[in-house]
Amino acid sequence: MSDDAPQDAAARGLTRRALFKGAGAAAAAGAVFRSLDAAAKDDAAAGPPVQGPGKTAVTLQVNGTERKVEAEPRETLLQVLRLPLDLTGAKPVCDRGQCGACTVWLDGEPVYACNVLAVEAEGRKVTTVEGLGAPDDLHAVQDAFVQKDALQCGFCTPGLVMSAAWAVEQHGEDLTEEQAREACAGNLCRCGTYPHVLEAALAAAKHAKKGD
Amino acid sequence: MKAFTFVRARSAEEAAKTLGDSKTGLLHSGGCDLLDRMKERVAEPDMLVSLCDAEGLSDIRLEEDGSIWVGARATLARLAEASLVQRFLPTLSEAAALAASPQLRHRATIGGNLAQHTRCGYYRHKSFPCLKRGGDSCPVRAEGGVQEMAGIFDNETCASAHPSSIAPVLGSLDAELVIRNADGRQAFVPSFESLWASPKKGRASDLALAAGDVIEAVRIPARDTKQFVGYAEIRQRKAFDWALVSCAVRYEMDADGKIAQASVWYGSVAPTPWRAGAAESALRGKACTDETARTAAEQALADATPLAGTTYKVQLAKVALKRALAAARERA
Repeated sequence: MSDDAPQDAAARGLTRRALFKGAGAAAAAGAVFRSLDAAAKDDAAAGPPVQGPGKTAVTLQVNGTERKVEAEPRETLLQVLRLPLDLTGAKPVCDRGQCGACTVWLDGEPVYACNVLAVEAEGRKVTTVEGLGAPDDLHAVQDAFVQKDALQCGFCTPGLVMSAAWAVEQHGEDLTEEQAREACAGNLCRCGTYPHVLEAALAAAKHAKKGD
Repeated sequence: MKAFTFVRARSAEEAAKTLGDSKTGLLHSGGCDLLDRMKERVAEPDMLVSLCDAEGLSDIRLEEDGSIWVGARATLARLAEASLVQRFLPTLSEAAALAASPQLRHRATIGGNLAQHTRCGYYRHKSFPCLKRGGDSCPVRAEGGVQEMAGIFDNETCASAHPSSIAPVLGSLDAELVIRNADGRQAFVPSFESLWASPKKGRASDLALAAGDVIEAVRIPARDTKQFVGYAEIRQRKAFDWALVSCAVRYEMDADGKIAQASVWYGSVAPTPWRAGAAESALRGKACTDETARTAAEQALADATPLAGTTYKVQLAKVALKRALAAARERA
């Protein structure tokens, strides 16, 4: 990264302005402004869509399946996944985005389901630990958790599996211990199984390719 | 959480207009801080105006004048990874990569990071009186108040600390805020300093913005001369923690190898991001040596007013500035 620091770029006579012109990004920027202006004109009369405060129909894409639920805007994705949808892998523990037990993927990126509103998840791809693998067809990370004894009480496990699996998907066989550590930094395990979790992530990565 | 109406604004303009009309609605972006406060019933809006469907607000791009435009909805994960940010704004990328956890970085937006409220435990717990929530005094300052996370500057009436580590970096880079007003107009906050307001009774937000003002983007100006930038933060845990103190610096050198102009900003030491003007003066006209850094650090903290529980932050802040200056020198 230090090679690309701005002072080095400036020293080589490469300014941001020059890069801008070279990349031809002006056209792209212009397109963004045009589409925004056009959208604003079309919708000015109609006003923005409004939901709630009572139950509202929400269609979610969960683990590749379309699921229709009725939820109030104040219900979190975690609440909706667990109760109407009966997907109890994501755990409600802190409910404040601090422990990681409710980790799911939203459009392939790890998030805390407790600080996403269910209405926000409409139209986005939700993946829970149930969608990662099946009991007779475990995801490589789930299998590695079993092999490496990466759990004790098991309450944090679904969240840690989602974080570790994201690291494996991101980096494939190149996954380093440091990257696995960082990917799992947002998940707390009070039994302290972290070393085995890291072992499991690295073992699963050995046989993985990026984006698997 | 109290029940609320959810409005899906499709642009910053639409969000600003809806907020301006509602008076009691709150803006929703990543929700990392807001939903926490709503669950504690410290915030009880009857309407959330969400930017979740708004388009074009997460762009990170080079402008024609060489400035960098960061849409308010750009996540911390993208700030950490975007090659444009890594290349031209390395301290912003570093601070974003260190913040929170992957799960939060994929949700937290740069606009929300600036708008987040203090982590003060008294502010976030309704059973305590709190000046920011309309109480008469600050329980941190009262006898027996827990002070360890409190601020060490501007803490006379309220000893809260603004937790953003992104803000001091943006301050050091002279970032300009692009605001969408309730009447639909686009406006610019003239200086990063003027974005902030010191605590007063009943004012929860630390932003000096009007109701209905929506942060649309952060613009970082281009510079004609070589910039030296450094960032350092000190925290209790290496993984997933708030900075106890963060510090960002930027300086330029003159032809004689002396610092021509410097910008020094702190996070987590005051109710708002804190500009250390005394350190900037101490750096001007000097070569960037360890001795200069020591003097600047002493100057930066000379006017600190730590409480009994926060004297340790004075030392941390000195060290953070020295580390940030060393990082700037090493990068060059």
